Amino acid sequence: MLVGLALLACGRGATGRPAALAVTDDAGRRVNLVAPAARVVSLAPSLTELLFALGAGPQVVGRTTWCRYPAAAAAVPDVGDGLSPNLEAVAARRPDLVLLYHSPLNETTAAQLERLGIATVLLRQDRHADVARHARLLGVLTGHPGAGDSIGRVLDSVVAAAAPPARVRVAIVVWDAPPTVIGAGSYLDELVTLAGGANVFHDLAAASATVSLETIVHRDPGVIAILPDADAVMPPAWARRPEWRAVRAVRAGRFLVLPAELFGRPSPRAPEAVLELRRLLARETTP
Amino acid sequence: MRWVLLGLAAAGALGAAVVLGPAAIPLAELGTSPIVRDLRLPRALLAFLVGGALATAGTGLQGLLRNPLADPFLLGLSGGAGLGVVLAIALGWGGPWGLPVAAFAGAMGAMVLVYRLGLVSGGALDPRTMLLAGVAVGAFAAAVTTAIVSLAEASQLRNAFLWLWGGLSGASWQTVAVLAVYAPVPLAVLAAAARPLDLLALGEEPARYLGADVERVKRRVYLAASLLTAAAVAVSGVIGFVGLLVPHLARLVWGHRHGALLPAAFVGGGTLLTLADTLARTVVAPRELPVGIVTALVGVPVFALLLRRWGAP
Repeated sequence: MLVGLALLACGRGATGRPAALAVTDDAGRRVNLVAPAARVVSLAPSLTELLFALGAGPQVVGRTTWCRYPAAAAAVPDVGDGLSPNLEAVAARRPDLVLLYHSPLNETTAAQLERLGIATVLLRQDRHADVARHARLLGVLTGHPGAGDSIGRVLDSVVAAAAPPARVRVAIVVWDAPPTVIGAGSYLDELVTLAGGANVFHDLAAASATVSLETIVHRDPGVIAILPDADAVMPPAWARRPEWRAVRAVRAGRFLVLPAELFGRPSPRAPEAVLELRRLLARETTP
Repeated sequence: MRWVLLGLAAAGALGAAVVLGPAAIPLAELGTSPIVRDLRLPRALLAFLVGGALATAGTGLQGLLRNPLADPFLLGLSGGAGLGVVLAIALGWGGPWGLPVAAFAGAMGAMVLVYRLGLVSGGALDPRTMLLAGVAVGAFAAAVTTAIVSLAEASQLRNAFLWLWGGLSGASWQTVAVLAVYAPVPLAVLAAAARPLDLLALGEEPARYLGADVERVKRRVYLAASLLTAAAVAVSGVIGFVGLLVPHLARLVWGHRHGALLPAAFVGGGTLLTLADTLARTVVAPRELPVGIVTALVGVPVFALLLRRWGAP
């Protein structure tokens, strides 16, 4: 923390010689800042959440339309979409650092911003382990290395703590037609495992995949987890469709609602999400 | 002989669709398994009905427009259905049947619009005007759809496209029943138009001299083909290729008489889609391929083979 403050003081730049902050982002690019970023535009909701968790909220001067957590993020000016962002809107915020989700398209965006003299980092926050790594990295870049370290340690400890033996078999259904489920490549699969559940589609390497309904019937999950939209009704409308009634858990109405705000993306609130999921799963074992 | 072979192929495709699937079910339990009864059997029948409907609609439209590139979705129906689905999701029209009904309504809207535009040159339906109107209406609907998708919550609306290209995962005895009750009427209208369609192949003037009520035939064929296609979209989304190439396949083998062509296209289209869906369900199990990809992968080699055997259509 002291180091952070020192760097921050440097960044405000009245007296000190420039201290070099160097990190390597998820695209393998070296990113050098002479001082912690004072004006940050975050073009990914998960990274915005992480910045606020680090205590860098006051330094955030731009966010996407979809950055809705935490509530304080709503006060930050909206610069539009995070994928193929509006470069003028981003540059108009006069940022000294722009955070982008690492996608091939955004590599071009990053190059365009660099040409305007704006530093960029490309970060792909898809898995639990990414959050801890990014917490440390962004802690350094925004002048909160202590906070970054402590968030990283908490998140690491969630994985280190022994998960309870898997008792509930879960299928996470993200779309009904065609039936689309979460596989081992997704953060949600990690959460289910950490909470002591077993994803019946853990054998699928992809983050999500279209599967046959008969496969779901055959694997016979004890409970169906869904990420509802804000105004969704429970159980979902598709649970009344005849082809879905072939699934035992659907007939029995065994649905588990995972609010998208807490479960929808890898976040520093993973410990909270794991505890909540553990509680929900325990309720399923003792009906 | 051709009919026997086609019948055997159809029976084989339906049999394979019931026996094969990602869940291993022993032959002895085929009769009692709920997976077979509630999922595989209705899905096989739905695939057959949808494939047959699309191929028959394509045959009728190619005869009507006298254009070998005509397929059931050329005249703006897929664009209309897509717009319907996206609107339904954006406006939150729920219910278990929300999307199928919205797709049907969208396709019908596009059909009415194209029909009205086709009539602009006096009281006669002009095939060239209809083609242009169909492409224009489709493009307009696609533009509105894209605008909605890019302005609204992205994740939900991307699912609209998944649904639209979704294939037959929504099959149930209810969807089979709906199509089995609905499809016979437009199919019968097309079958009744077989003779006038033969005459229409000679051109509108000669057909009129030979006694065909050309305007009435055009109207009926267009409406029947569109109604079939709209129903197919409602239960299975947009499935390409079947309605375009199966008519040509049938023409290679059965010639140009619509009396034989229409039933051959129906059975051929049903067989192709049933076969394609079985492959889509099994080759990458437990994952599933979009069935439209498989129809092309299976259909194109068959088409090439028949083209070599029987020559140009």
